[in-house]
Amino acid sequence: MMEKMLRKIFGHSTFRPGQRETIASLMSGEHTISMLPTGTGKSLCYQLPGYMLNGSVIIVSPLLSLMQDQVEQLMMLGEKKVIAFNSFLSYEEKNRALHQLHDYKFIFISPEMLKVDLVIKNLKRLDIALFVIDEAHCISQWGYDFRPDYLKLGEVRESLGNPLTLALTATATHKVKIDIIESLSISHPNEFIYSVDRPNIALKVDRVEHHKDKVDKLIEYLRVVKGPGIVYFSSKKMAEQMAALLKKEGLGEVMAYHGGIDQENRKLIQQQFLYGQLDIICATSAFGMGINKNNIRFVVHFHMPMQLESYLQEIGRAGRDGERSLAILLYANGDEQLPIQLAEGELLHENQIDWMIKWLEANPEAWNKLNDYETEMITLAGLTETNWRILKDFHQVAVDSGKDMYSLHELKDVMLKQMDVKRHKIKIVYDWIHFQSCRRKKILQYFDEEQKIRVDNCCDPCGLSIEDFMRNPTMVKNRNEETDWQRLLAEILINK
Amino acid sequence: MSLSYTEIVILHCLQRIEGQRTVYSVFHLLNGKKTSQTIQDAHLFHLSAFFHLFPSLTRKEFTDYIKRMENEQLIIQKEDLHFVVPKRDHWKAVDANILPKYVDGWRYHRYSRMLWERISLLVQVISHLNKQNQKYLPIQTKKELHVWLKKYLVQSKMSREDLAQGIYNELYTCLSHDDDINPVIFVIRLTGFNKIGLTASQAAEKLKMENDVYHIHFLNILHCILQKADESPEKFPLLNRLMTDVDKLTSLLTISASRTYRLIQKGFALDEISISRNLKRGTIEDHIVEIALNISDFKIDQYVSQLKQQLIVEASKKLTSKQLKHIRQSVPEADYFEIRLVLAKNGIR
Ligand SMILES: [Zn+2]
Repeated sequence: MMEKMLRKIFGHSTFRPGQRETIASLMSGEHTISMLPTGTGKSLCYQLPGYMLNGSVIIVSPLLSLMQDQVEQLMMLGEKKVIAFNSFLSYEEKNRALHQLHDYKFIFISPEMLKVDLVIKNLKRLDIALFVIDEAHCISQWGYDFRPDYLKLGEVRESLGNPLTLALTATATHKVKIDIIESLSISHPNEFIYSVDRPNIALKVDRVEHHKDKVDKLIEYLRVVKGPGIVYFSSKKMAEQMAALLKKEGLGEVMAYHGGIDQENRKLIQQQFLYGQLDIICATSAFGMGINKNNIRFVVHFHMPMQLESYLQEIGRAGRDGERSLAILLYANGDEQLPIQLAEGELLHENQIDWMIKWLEANPEAWNKLNDYETEMITLAGLTETNWRILKDFHQVAVDSGKDMYSLHELKDVMLKQMDVKRHKIKIVYDWIHFQSCRRKKILQYFDEEQKIRVDNCCDPCGLSIEDFMRNPTMVKNRNEETDWQRLLAEILINK
Repeated sequence: MSLSYTEIVILHCLQRIEGQRTVYSVFHLLNGKKTSQTIQDAHLFHLSAFFHLFPSLTRKEFTDYIKRMENEQLIIQKEDLHFVVPKRDHWKAVDANILPKYVDGWRYHRYSRMLWERISLLVQVISHLNKQNQKYLPIQTKKELHVWLKKYLVQSKMSREDLAQGIYNELYTCLSHDDDINPVIFVIRLTGFNKIGLTASQAAEKLKMENDVYHIHFLNILHCILQKADESPEKFPLLNRLMTDVDKLTSLLTISASRTYRLIQKGFALDEISISRNLKRGTIEDHIVEIALNISDFKIDQYVSQLKQQLIVEASKKLTSKQLKHIRQSVPEADYFEIRLVLAKNGIR
């Protein structure tokens, strides 16, 4: 039965590890926590039951880009009854959708939208088959991506009549898992914990002296390794510059992909990659290549990641077909400065907080309706999107407990503490980069796991032969490049 | 020095303006700034085809172009920010073919983007319908486009094969056998079944064209489709129907000017409009000039006597300078509003 549905809707013939167990558990009506590593098809775990159960599936998802990706994946499968409730929707669109909620099978929703009474009211009217919390580690203070909004999910769940619940996460330590169960107050859930290890991805770190050596190293690799692949950068500018350079070096079809590219072009580039029209994407991590591409053969990090968790997510985009793939991290002396700077930029600075208190003294009416002053505060105090989210989260809690604007002083301490956490995470990556024995074992230790399987081509300290990841030099890429416009137009429109 | 396409365009515009406006009037023109001043200038100097050709050109980029050309003495600063182009004859050669045939910025700037969004989505959807494939991601994501498309498909009352063949035939007829069109510029951007279109910069690179040259030639094709579909709906029924729901008349005017226009049609006088809209008389005058420029059957007799109109037309023909003050000197009884209005109505620069 499950296999039949799988084939009919998704066109696969077998389940990946953990999918079948998770789905079977939900189908027998049990609350379920599944920890499946990135790239093993987490979303299938609620999509398939969605089709087998009557009623709607509500999916709480913390990241807008992630949500958009998942919606698009479903649309790719021909699903029309899907909607994403987030700040991308206009006021009218939101209203219209709210009144037609029962028309949707899959309802994606951001945690802040769940704070809106009207939304809850309309959700309550639905027959909810399944309540899904994606990236459930965000519930826990111990999770690397803690979202205060997520703390309310237990309440929300209760007000919706404790529907059947699935908590999904890619990487969670034991402490995080306990937090998830407690905050959601789900009793005796079935737990399916799969290793964060992706044995088919080999781990390699190259330490060099200068930035320039990294560029040389990158080009050297890209000349020989088998593609397609992604190279991650920390800035849009670098992604653009390197894409141009790699193109010039004749390394195939290369494109940059980042948040500064407009929507239409982003879509085109994503799809070109998916359909094999591109060899290399130079991307920033801000945008997940959410579209399932199974045959990504390598992921290179040109800059040092800010934490092991996000690093695993990003390299996890390689080798989803189970074939041998390569993850390379390039490190030049002093590279750890960049993530520290980025981390500082994400947090609110002491000066900014002092400025805001002053501004609020002059505009005291703003304290109770901070949202109305979003644009003003963002431009005047020079806040980033993340800055603003931190401020809003803090403000929410402060207002709820009846505090005034001077409570913002407490935010300074909070920021200092968060910076410590971030520094600590960066230090862990730094140590991992400089580690002299098995990198895989080290990662597993970090996630309280024991290494169960030994793999060939494990990591550079264990020894890996780069030859196994090279492309066959006699294989010439043969892209169908029709340049006769009439034939091209006919091919698109009328040829069968 | 070798000039980029954008620089040649800027030079061309500066040459037409002959130092009678600041360089930034050219920036506003290419950027498509919708102020009465820019719109009037566009018509006055016969540059309306250039309107909104480079909407993403930044002020800094523009200023850098000007500085570079000044350093190379291609342009000379006459007075503060007013530049002239010497060696006029040299640039005349460039002039004749500076814009591809169909490009008409002022006439089509509001529809080109919409036409592209609609046609690219339509082609993608038809391609997949025709291949009986439902599993794909629409390249255009705006809700209203999808609502429009649904309506379009229903109203065409055709089988998917016929629709695909129809669109193919019309695009083929529209784009082929036309020396001013290189259809590949357009076709490689289209997305269909298992074939994703190129981005503008990829297409330019592939065809070995400067980005701006590519952009203009792509616009040329969109404007060509708009023009041909508009002129021969019987020949291009499907293409024509792409844009029939768009209100073409009032969208020729700025929003504020179209409000003024409606009041004029109801019989209100200039001063009454100024009072009821709480706008300066000068602003309403600007609107009226804008209306005269864009709506061909608009009568101006109630604002300027027929006799004065004649005098102004004659004076402007005799004078080489387009500066209003020179016309004013030879027709002292006319004020500036009257002169501007008559020039606008008669399409004289
Ligand atoms: Zn190892």
